[in-house]
Amino acid sequence: MTDAPREGTGISARGLTKTFGPLRAVDNLTFEVRPGRVTGFLGPNGAGKTTTLRMLLGLIRPTSGEALIGGRRYADIDRPMQVVGSALEATGFHPGRSGRDHLRVLAATHGIPDSRVDELLELVGIPAAARKRAGAYSMGMRQRLGLAAGLLGDPQVLLLDEPANGLDPEGIRWMRGFLRHLAQDEGRTVVVSSHLLSEVEQTVDDVVIIANGHLVREGTMDELHGDPAVLVRTRDASALADALVRSGLAVQPEGPAALRVQTGDLARVGDVALAAGQPVYELRALRTDLERLFLDLTEAPEHSNRNRLPEEIDR
Amino acid sequence: MTGLVRSELRKALTTKMAWGMPLAQFVLAAVFAAITGGFLLFVDIPGADGTPIPARELFEDGVLARMTYTGGLQVGYLLALVLGILAMGSEYRHKTLTATFLAEPRRGRVVAAKVVGLSVVVVLNGLAHLAGAVVGGGIMLLLADVPLFPDAGDLAGVMLRLLLVLVLWGLMGLGLGVLLPNQVVALFVGVAFAFLIEPLLSFGITFVDALADAARFFPSQASTAALSVFEGVDPATAQNMGFNPDQLDWWAAALTLLVYAAVMTAVGWVLTRRRDVA
Ligand SMILES: Nc1ncnc2c1ncn2[C@@H]1O[C@H](COP(=O)(O)OP(=O)(O)OP(=O)(O)O)[C@@H](O)[C@H]1O
Ligand SMILES: [Mg+2]
Repeated sequence: MTDAPREGTGISARGLTKTFGPLRAVDNLTFEVRPGRVTGFLGPNGAGKTTTLRMLLGLIRPTSGEALIGGRRYADIDRPMQVVGSALEATGFHPGRSGRDHLRVLAATHGIPDSRVDELLELVGIPAAARKRAGAYSMGMRQRLGLAAGLLGDPQVLLLDEPANGLDPEGIRWMRGFLRHLAQDEGRTVVVSSHLLSEVEQTVDDVVIIANGHLVREGTMDELHGDPAVLVRTRDASALADALVRSGLAVQPEGPAALRVQTGDLARVGDVALAAGQPVYELRALRTDLERLFLDLTEAPEHSNRNRLPEEIDR
Repeated sequence: MTGLVRSELRKALTTKMAWGMPLAQFVLAAVFAAITGGFLLFVDIPGADGTPIPARELFEDGVLARMTYTGGLQVGYLLALVLGILAMGSEYRHKTLTATFLAEPRRGRVVAAKVVGLSVVVVLNGLAHLAGAVVGGGIMLLLADVPLFPDAGDLAGVMLRLLLVLVLWGLMGLGLGVLLPNQVVALFVGVAFAFLIEPLLSFGITFVDALADAARFFPSQASTAALSVFEGVDPATAQNMGFNPDQLDWWAAALTLLVYAAVMTAVGWVLTRRRDVA
């Protein structure tokens, strides 16, 4: 029997640090993953995502700090595949063993029946290929097999390292929908790493962004988007500004004939303009450029990529 | 723990090694038993006083059968060593160790399960080896009109001990596979050691009086001794056949191999627990 809580298993990293010789791959990293949500674990190549996930899973011993899943270290979890599932980068398969047998090998450790193995192969969409030797699998098939392995124990928490890598557009769409299904319909805690914010922005609720082993941002996707704002262009900007302020909205000028209004409600801005007799030439929601923000966060001088050659950094 | 052992057995039974290795054991044991039998039964060898005489006149039928059936001992334990190296080496090579440790993060248990699983697999391979030896050696004994099982009890004991020797070599391989996580290097080092360096070294120091005693404790000589292949053979004859006449008792030899296996397994256990899996 497992005493693992089915509901509300979160993850916390406290001062996680890992050094490889002179390199601090992960540096005093502290963050929380809230239960029942999809968290994007983001950072450019070499930021330390895989190293961190491996420390969470007890595969790499932290130089200092600790990682807890549902309050316990991974190694202390009884029947861990039923609590945490994961699909890590560079997880291998024996090339001469079929995908199905790979899963059966893992299933045996937890007494999981073959019927569950076949169920998952069906779910990830490789039931036929699974009986062939894994050495002949494409990247996408390997990703799907890895995901099936992570789901074997029907875990409450899923850690997925760049699951979209190597998937075709159809596969990526499938993966997105699948993650949403796991989190929203089934209430699982999902952590999905990526080096592209845009790849996961439609999927995740929260983000943890790291660069060069440091935490640079932690919060909800809404916080990242910032407060909603509207851009309105008109003939007499100051007259419209007065009207908007009178109706209780905060306004800043945005260029000569345009205003930035702190609201997400386009109709309200339009109504105020109509009432004030001001023509509207342009009215649109201002979206935070997340890709820009992500670059700003991760390319800040203090996080400049240590994996680059020095002269490249100077430029 | 039974689940972990079952997992290890599934690993062993779901690749080509599952049938390739027993097949190799069967064929090689048959060939070597036939060659050994042919040599003993149909070729003259130097007797105690140096004059050539047919080997079968020197030995009782029981000894002839024992020597014939164990003719493939060296290839047998070499293949067992390879199986042991692969048990861990292939997990490093194909990066399946990640999945293995995610399923059971208490790594000591994984090593324990590997010890049990490997022992079972080596015994199965050993049975294939014995079957091959009985077929290949049996043909020669039949041709020479020697009974197939002159002393069935003695032969059964020898065969059981051969299985034990194979298991212990397998465990030495397991430790070596952890010590040298590059599987290709581990295989090269293991085979070179077991087939070239160690026998040459142990044969060489037989002629150095101060060290001659030590050679008895070398794995190859201990393996031969554990089967009491030369029991009932005139020491001078054994020496003429290129073997150290001054061998350990079978139980002392088995114990010696057990120590090697235990040390190598312990090395594997310690390293497995400490290493990062990246
Ligand atoms: N076993 C190791 N030995 C030495 N250095 C390592 C090791 N593993 C990782 N590193 C280094 O640690 C840093 C972080 O690597 P990591 O794989 O965690 O990054 P990542 O964020 O997963 O990158 P990517 O997006 O490319 O997968 C890199 O500079 C990498 O070279
Ligand atoms: Mg990575």
